Amino acid sequence: MALSKRAPVVRPDLEQIFRAAYPRVVAVAARVLGSRDEAEDVAQEVFLTFGRSDVPAGEALPWLSVAAAHTALNHIRTGKRRAGRERAGRPDDAVVPDVADAVVALEERRRVRATLARLPRKQAVALVLRHSGLSYAEVAAALDLSPGSVGTTVRRAESALRKELNA
Amino acid sequence: MKRHPNDGVLRRLVDEPAGVADADREHVDACPVCRSGFEAAQRDAAFAATAFTATALYAGADPDVDAAWQRLDRAGAAQPGRKPQTRWKLRSPIVAGLAAAVVLAGAGAAAAADWFPIFRTERIAPVTIHQADLMAMPDLSSWGDVEITSKPEVHRVAGVTAAEKESGLDLPEVGDLPRGVTGDPAYQAGRRISATFTFRASKVATFAAGQGGTLPPMPAGLDGSSFRLTAGPGAAAVWASNQGVPSLIVARAVAPAAYSTGVPFTTARDYLLSLSGLPADVAAQLRRFSADGTTLPLHVMPEEMTSKATEVGGTPATLLTSTDGFLSAVVWVRDGEVTAVAGSLSADEVLSVARGLR
Repeated sequence: MALSKRAPVVRPDLEQIFRAAYPRVVAVAARVLGSRDEAEDVAQEVFLTFGRSDVPAGEALPWLSVAAAHTALNHIRTGKRRAGRERAGRPDDAVVPDVADAVVALEERRRVRATLARLPRKQAVALVLRHSGLSYAEVAAALDLSPGSVGTTVRRAESALRKELNA
Repeated sequence: MKRHPNDGVLRRLVDEPAGVADADREHVDACPVCRSGFEAAQRDAAFAATAFTATALYAGADPDVDAAWQRLDRAGAAQPGRKPQTRWKLRSPIVAGLAAAVVLAGAGAAAAADWFPIFRTERIAPVTIHQADLMAMPDLSSWGDVEITSKPEVHRVAGVTAAEKESGLDLPEVGDLPRGVTGDPAYQAGRRISATFTFRASKVATFAAGQGGTLPPMPAGLDGSSFRLTAGPGAAAVWASNQGVPSLIVARAVAPAAYSTGVPFTTARDYLLSLSGLPADVAAQLRRFSADGTTLPLHVMPEEMTSKATEVGGTPATLLTSTDGFLSAVVWVRDGEVTAVAGSLSADEVLSVARGLR
């Protein structure tokens, strides 16, 4: 394959990859953050880094997904939350039928975030990627695990999530 | 009894059973301990899925990609030197074209009395042709008359029954949809395409004069001889996605065939190749692959995709992956029918769908 070995200042295929992968990158970050605006902030950060990288185009999607999961988890851990963005987490802009459900949903989002922040990083990333639609093989490649251990890692994370949320 | 499969295997059995060994699956079916472990994994997985759905409430909504791109652009991520949008715009037609090609690709019933078959597709082989070489190739009409005698008219039909009735083919059923592919497919059917090409020595001479060179002499009997090419009918199931490219296409068609009024296939092929201006190595590839009159060369542009030999249910197949990794397709021929599974999926995913077809 005739790929340029030089890392350009901005890779020429950025827009093409951006347009194809942006919804998926936002979706990954949204699963961690539960806020669309925050997720879109994370996606911007991820693509800025990607634009200056020489990650082969064929590996772009898994790379971007992992980067989105890590960056979103970093946002939680460092408390890098912007007050102005909080409105995105407010129930009134979402498809929530009534106030009671909205409060539950908001609380659940907070607890999912808190649980993800406490999990070992590999478990949190594997969990988020699997629930964002990546196959076992893709998660395995992204985290340098065998497909067999992806199952074990995801299983542990799900068990921890249930215990935390049901506690 | 075999030792119990571990928790990871039980978890994978929940949502990617194709990745679990048969022996493990059978063990879980028969073993009450593993059965209960599997059910626990299933419950926790469903719980997590619900939690994430609540977390990403809007996950079904589309983010505004244009606005987001503008924002990245303003942030200085995108600088001059890139070609705006051109490749992206090409992406959808590539998949659509792939579907159409498969729907079209098929040969009809027996040839008329004065035609005899010179080519029938029994297998497919990828031939690497660089984009520039393909673009430089003259049109067939430079060397003769091309007449499309029947058009495929690919159109949407009401459902699988209508698709199968129109094409006369059994459209295979997908076992397990890959993750991210949801909903019911739309169905399309296409009629048989039929075209006739007649060699004209006068056109070849004009073409040669225009090229400013001399061309190899036309073999005896070729002037005025006709070839008929047929493909189809075919049918396809198409799962849409919100990204502009179908997430999954499963298509089947009667494989292409060619018929001649008397000139052997090899004579016509070699003469066409000598006219084509294709590089010697490409011409040699085409000659070699089509030597038996049963192997259909599939153009693979290395700028767009890579190809790999694989198998589906014991039949040799060709796996294609776009160089950006977003699109994959697997194509194979069995009993005169060509089947393709394609989509914005990984190579593993299309293979898993292809191998799980019923």
